[in-house]
Amino acid sequence: MKVRVISIPVLDQDKALAFYTDKLGFVKKHDIPLGEGGRWLTVVAKEEQEGTEVLLEPSPHGFEPAKTYQKALFDAGIPYTQFNVDDVREEYERLVNLGVTFSVKPTAMGTVKIAVFDDTCGNNIQIVELL
Amino acid sequence: MTFYQTEINRIREICYSNDKQVQTVIATRRFIDNNFDKEVNLDLLSHIRYTSKFHLLRLFKKYYGITPKQYLTFRRIEASKHYLKKGMSVSEACYCAGFETPSSFSTLFKNRIGLPPVEYQKEQFLQSELKTDSGTCTH
Repeated sequence: MKVRVISIPVLDQDKALAFYTDKLGFVKKHDIPLGEGGRWLTVVAKEEQEGTEVLLEPSPHGFEPAKTYQKALFDAGIPYTQFNVDDVREEYERLVNLGVTFSVKPTAMGTVKIAVFDDTCGNNIQIVELL
Repeated sequence: MTFYQTEINRIREICYSNDKQVQTVIATRRFIDNNFDKEVNLDLLSHIRYTSKFHLLRLFKKYYGITPKQYLTFRRIEASKHYLKKGMSVSEACYCAGFETPSSFSTLFKNRIGLPPVEYQKEQFLQSELKTDSGTCTH
């Protein structure tokens, strides 16, 4: 088995694609229509375009428990997933300048530094730097 | 304050309250990052941090979950992947990443990455060719 795709539930795929590419800097990899407006929509890191794909999945739609779970995580401030960066402080400042909202500012946690932002699609996302 | 922020503070208090220990392992990891291509061993690392090697070994494992030797190997493998992608021969990549012999390097590389270095390099070139082809195709 191999890890090729991880998924993030998003409330709006168009909005998610714009956020994950324009703000976070990911690159669109696959965009395949699946009927009824849904798409198999994935993005990858610009520096690792053959790496793991992030599926922007419209799973909260049509399945109420998924929506409930996503909202509960969001309200508790818990990140849905995390991405690695070289410098959390630098990335934090870049994203704040782009209008991204953080619930946790750059914080040292022993051998890592973390920060958490709102992806505007129903999720908190954590960025991590190994110290 | 959210539940997550409360948890961050709680875990930090439980796991990372000894700042001196944390700074010691962070400095050790940085030293390995900057010197992975040279001879690095526990004697040298402990000497630099003025601590006993067994204490340093325990601390590093406690905070990073792996030993300094395991981290050094990981760092060297990552470097060798980079050199292979750049087109270096297996021997060159082996020595530049700090490994001593191409045969032990190849065995270790296959164990960690799942492919021998030569196969890994071929796969990387194939992927970049495919990317170039798809980028230039006008049909």
